[in-house]
Amino acid sequence: MSSRIVNLNTNPCKMCMPLGAVNAFYGIARCMSLLHGSQGCSTYIRRHMATHYHEPVDIASSSLTEEGTVFGGERNLIRGLDNLIALYRPEVVAVATTCLAETIGEDVQAAVRARRESRPDCRTTVITVSTAGYSGTRYEGWFRALHALVSQTAMDPAPHAGVNVVTGPVSPADTRALKRLLREAGLTFTLLPDISDNLDGGCGGTYSRLPEGGTPLAAIARTAGARATLELATFVPEDASPGRLLEQQYGVPLFRLNLPVGLRDTDAFLTALEELGGTIPAGEYEERARYLDAMVDAHKHNALGRAAVFGEPDLVYGLTRLCCENGLLPAVAAGGADCPALKTALEEEIRPLAENTPSARFSVLNFADFDDIEAAVAENDVNLLIGSSDGRRAAHKHNIPLVRCAFPVHDHLGGQRIRVLGYAGAMRLLDAFANALIGSREASFRTEIYNRHCGGKPFGLFPERLDTGCAEPGSPDARAGALRAVPEKKDGKPGPSVVPAAARAVAGKHREAAVNNADKSATHPCFSASAARTCARIHLPVAPDCNIVCNYCVRGFSCPNENRPGVTAEVLTPPEALERFLRVRERMPALTVAGIAGPGDALANFAATTETLRLIRREDPDITFCLSTNGLLLPLYAAQLADLGVSHVTVTVNAADPAVGARIYRRATYMGMSFQGEAAAAMLISNQLAGLRLLTDAGIVCKANIVLIKGINEDHVEDVVRAVKSAGASVANIMQMIPVRGSAFEHLPLISNREHAALRRRCEKLLPQMHHCRQCRADAAGLLDEDQSYMLRGPVPASGAAPAAEAGCAAEAERAPAQVAVAPRNEVTEHAPVKVAVASRSGIVVDQHFGAAGQFHIYESDGLSTRLLETRRVGGNNLGCGMCGRGPLPEGPEDAEQGGGKIARALEAVADCRIVVVMRIGDSPSRRLAERGIAVFSTYDGIDKAVMDAVLARRDNIVAERARDAETV
Amino acid sequence: MDAKAEILSRYNAKVFKNRKDHILRVDRDTDGAQEIAANTRAVPGIMTNRGCCYAGCKGVVVGPIRDAVTITHGPIGCGFYTWGTRRNKARAGEDGKNFIQYCFSTDMQEPDIVFGGDKKLRRAIREAVEIFQPKTVFICSTCPVGLIGDDIHAVAAEAEKEFGITCTAFSCEGYKGVSQSAGHHIANNGLMKRIIGSNDTPPAAKFAVNLLGEYNIGGDGWEVERILKRVGYEIVSIFTGDGNIEGISRSHLSDLNLVQCHRSINYVAEMMKSAYGMDWLKVNFVGLDAICASLRGMAEYFGDDALKQRTEEVIAEELAAVAEDTAFLKSRLEGKTAALFVGGSRSHHYQTLLKEFGVRTVLAGYEFAHRDDYEGRSVLPDIKEDADSKNIEHLNVEKDPARYRVFLSPERYGELKQHIDLEEYRGMIRDMPDGSYVVDDLNHFETEAFTALLKPDIFFSGIKDKYVLQKGGTLSRQLHSYDYSGPYAGFRGAVLFGRDLVMGLYAPAWRLVVPPWKKQAGGTQAKGDLSHA
Repeated sequence: MSSRIVNLNTNPCKMCMPLGAVNAFYGIARCMSLLHGSQGCSTYIRRHMATHYHEPVDIASSSLTEEGTVFGGERNLIRGLDNLIALYRPEVVAVATTCLAETIGEDVQAAVRARRESRPDCRTTVITVSTAGYSGTRYEGWFRALHALVSQTAMDPAPHAGVNVVTGPVSPADTRALKRLLREAGLTFTLLPDISDNLDGGCGGTYSRLPEGGTPLAAIARTAGARATLELATFVPEDASPGRLLEQQYGVPLFRLNLPVGLRDTDAFLTALEELGGTIPAGEYEERARYLDAMVDAHKHNALGRAAVFGEPDLVYGLTRLCCENGLLPAVAAGGADCPALKTALEEEIRPLAENTPSARFSVLNFADFDDIEAAVAENDVNLLIGSSDGRRAAHKHNIPLVRCAFPVHDHLGGQRIRVLGYAGAMRLLDAFANALIGSREASFRTEIYNRHCGGKPFGLFPERLDTGCAEPGSPDARAGALRAVPEKKDGKPGPSVVPAAARAVAGKHREAAVNNADKSATHPCFSASAARTCARIHLPVAPDCNIVCNYCVRGFSCPNENRPGVTAEVLTPPEALERFLRVRERMPALTVAGIAGPGDALANFAATTETLRLIRREDPDITFCLSTNGLLLPLYAAQLADLGVSHVTVTVNAADPAVGARIYRRATYMGMSFQGEAAAAMLISNQLAGLRLLTDAGIVCKANIVLIKGINEDHVEDVVRAVKSAGASVANIMQMIPVRGSAFEHLPLISNREHAALRRRCEKLLPQMHHCRQCRADAAGLLDEDQSYMLRGPVPASGAAPAAEAGCAAEAERAPAQVAVAPRNEVTEHAPVKVAVASRSGIVVDQHFGAAGQFHIYESDGLSTRLLETRRVGGNNLGCGMCGRGPLPEGPEDAEQGGGKIARALEAVADCRIVVVMRIGDSPSRRLAERGIAVFSTYDGIDKAVMDAVLARRDNIVAERARDAETV
Repeated sequence: MDAKAEILSRYNAKVFKNRKDHILRVDRDTDGAQEIAANTRAVPGIMTNRGCCYAGCKGVVVGPIRDAVTITHGPIGCGFYTWGTRRNKARAGEDGKNFIQYCFSTDMQEPDIVFGGDKKLRRAIREAVEIFQPKTVFICSTCPVGLIGDDIHAVAAEAEKEFGITCTAFSCEGYKGVSQSAGHHIANNGLMKRIIGSNDTPPAAKFAVNLLGEYNIGGDGWEVERILKRVGYEIVSIFTGDGNIEGISRSHLSDLNLVQCHRSINYVAEMMKSAYGMDWLKVNFVGLDAICASLRGMAEYFGDDALKQRTEEVIAEELAAVAEDTAFLKSRLEGKTAALFVGGSRSHHYQTLLKEFGVRTVLAGYEFAHRDDYEGRSVLPDIKEDADSKNIEHLNVEKDPARYRVFLSPERYGELKQHIDLEEYRGMIRDMPDGSYVVDDLNHFETEAFTALLKPDIFFSGIKDKYVLQKGGTLSRQLHSYDYSGPYAGFRGAVLFGRDLVMGLYAPAWRLVVPPWKKQAGGTQAKGDLSHA
């Protein structure tokens, strides 16, 4: 299960496997590649490599067509090989597969074997490698190619004194430098691969169609007898590691080192060469000294840098280490592929440096696209981008310089000449980093210095924590703001004299606050859709009481499972809230917002709210404060909220007309008096609108939430949007009402998604709309789409022992199973909650076969909300509530048990459930479940979604069946 | 032995049999038209320059529409490779939407292949709608999608209902057809079925046209737009460079379709003729003579005297403005020879411009054209459908009675057809000099061999050939992407094109290839050196 919660890759930070394979094969002498698949793959990859290397890149294709996908591609492959060999006379042909060949299940090895047998005279060696684009990235493709070469070449294991040196994707110029170093060290070596000449050739008026440079096959054959293998790749997958293969099959000792980028890793590499009997060339000592000199020279620039490093594993790691040893904080380090080991290594590398930096924030991303990277760049005040030219759009958008030092470079020249390895490579990088930083400072430093010292701004080492605008230095916004500030100060014009000085000061403060607060919206998941995917928030449930009664609301104070506003697992005191905040902040580096969203009303519990915010502000001057309220008390507290540093407030406004409001609100309690009906609504509405004005005047960013209630306010919503807009709200969030059991509106029909979307679109014309609301709990924590609040709670009693608690859901828990148990199948009301058994090992995704499941998670769901009741071992003890009992669960084959026995026990385990949700299930168990009236739902999906889908699908079936029955009657 | 025979002699019997029909030497003395084989399967293993169906659909036709979010449904490679690589320029419209700089992919992983990727696609659309709020989402599928059976059309239909947007799926799996051409057709069908005719806002100007087959590479479309606007035309839509959904949706209300790239867009032109009665005119805005002829043909079509007069005024002014530049360029280019190997139209279009500069074409070929692009549309009835073309849906468009308009009377139509290219494309071969070569689907080996035999001074091709040629001493300019330059269309584009040729041919490096010590030792100069200096 990947860590990626996003399904749309927006601007990828990785490339596909076949590209990696043919890229590596370009380091083999007289080798041509053929991609087995449709011809687009070859064409695209040739295009991409040629643009980077500025060299001919010739990759053949088996040109599979629709016919090939139906009848198999063997004929095309063999014809392709014949033609390629006849035209080019290569020594080696490397066949790499593509998504197409892998998906239709081509047996490439068999085809190649058959061809060899029918053409005994053919002297060309054919190497095959499996590289489906969906199984990995360019990085894995590169190593799989090398692994295939080593495993398929006829080896000569006679021992010799040579050393094998394996590299991941490095540039031709770096390869050349590496070769020279090895030569000068007096070692005999085989470089795997050696792309130095084939992808960086000269222009001499003649052109050879075959890549004549590179490592010959004969040298690869002798790698089996080498003294040792040096693998300069930290994150190479074991099953694709040529060094590991040589060690396991031929006993060649393997030494795995980091790519020699920067001082420490180059030192380690040279040490290894010395240990293998090489002599470190004198020139290297001098180069090292010069690099150190450069490090000292450049530190004053680099230490002001906050870099974002992105790309492929080894290089990102090497560049990150180089940055760290130069005091240049990699505030963002991102791998495009899914490589958790890289993430851990990066974090360990960056943390010590971050601790010595005033602004210690940094973020490490795994499996990231540029959308993720850009969000992290904005959040971490990055001022330097390091990676491939694919970062150029981010660079342009955020006005940050980009140092291009990785494949691909498509917009600059010199991709083939990139130098990062060794002391000399490090020196070049260091200069490039420092010069990029100097270049962007050069453009703005005069204004910055003037404003810092003569602009009346607060001063400190922690610029982003000062109470001034926190726009990135150098960004157009910051500069524009700064320039505006200068003339104001210079001529010291007092402004219109009717405004008293104190009021001017306040207005000035608010203007500044407004700029600051608006900037904070960029990292507030609710106010910025892109932040929603990268920035986390925590809701602190410190406000249980409410001063109004809404017909759609039921608050719940001890419910761990329902997912809606007004619900929390527990109510916290302010000190507890602080404690939770600190705990979460530690765990989630992406945490940007602390909010109070009930479960009641934040202002109706103003003492607790104030205390909580003060406690947190003392610990974290930086975090964005946000709260949500019904707005009744806003006229009283708006100014205090601004003083507390609240930057964002959400006011729920469901009506602008008291007549409509009277149908939504039952009661409002204000200043010790209770109001009902239209009076309550009228007072609430006028306070809400006045409150919004006060808040926005104070520079606070306001959002209006509107609960869309079918038959009550659906036609009125546009009026509400107009009203909140004129009161200053900057965004509206129209939410579908969740019909909560026990509320007055329990039975109201739901608004369809379509109507909802249409309404949002209409209102969009009036005011920006929030489209990504998840209607969170009052104690939600994490990303909007990834609530982790359940991990923060103390143990929750299992369902059987649930106390008869305040709110709906716990009480239902006791009621629900009984209902289902007595209801015969065809009388089941389609809305009754049902028990659902889920086969899952991870507890997150439905990932198990029915027969193989060692446990079932038993959920209860009515199609609106879902809760976990317990986790049952198949044929074993009840593990209790899965949430309390989280942790590794014993699982696996039940030893000598017959399959049938296991199925029987699985059936027994789910006997009281109405639905079984599995990844796969056999015919027989499926039938046996159907006989017992249990519906089966096969899927591979997150559990919550799967359970919901299953319940709704079953409901549809029941309704349809009933309709059919009615017809036949 | 002529070049054709010499090259074919290097092939084995099977390849020989295939390739011999794809190569011809223009011979004006032959009785009847010369015939060439085209749009057939590429020979595996011989390094074709062709791309795939997905490239034709997503990369060429659908991708340049600036305000649609186009999601590539598949593993990461395909989407990545079409990300900003075609140099089709766009600027945001009034709504601020321009997604040209973005790449959207479902980034399918192994489990998606095994268990189906439609769920992921569904969620990806939701995310795209929430974050980018496009009016239109396009889905383009890649090879594995067709094989694992994801029903992308059903997902699109669901998304339309759920989000109230237009969502159109294109089943353009890479293996379909024999080249990009299949993808063009699929994209044309999708636009016709789903977008064209969905908005009845009429054009404001008296003379309204659509510009079909103009992808705004390096800004070509903007230069053409400048000229047409000067004359007084309203361009309702451009298919599809810097195109937008609104324009395309109301393109059926224009008076005339102008077809620049016949290969990629003739399907839409024909379908709009069937459905709405709109005529189309083959134009060419590359090369001064061709531009003038196109503008005059348009004025002729509308038959308006004021328009004709304005056309002549604009032509005179524009020609005068570039006269000095073109004269200089011609003085530097006269007598050179060129070979062209580009997609499906440009090899023809650029010959006009080269001729104006005094550059003779020695070889031209198309990567993915059909026979009609070589021989003219008159051969259409003779082209037999094969297994590969049958697999691509042919839309039978019916007359839309409410929107069907006939602009010309049958008499006027017949009269005009005599002297302008009204619904006619006469193909490349007829414009080529006697003795030059025409090669369909030129491959790596043939590029090298023909260059050695014909010794062109410039070889216009793409990035895949560029370095092969330049390593051998022959200047190569990319006519797909214009080598970071452009526009080359229009009056001003002609000057830029000539400037780029001169800078390439007279680059000092060519003269320095052979070191002095080799010259003294009697070493031969590189060919590139001698011919350019």
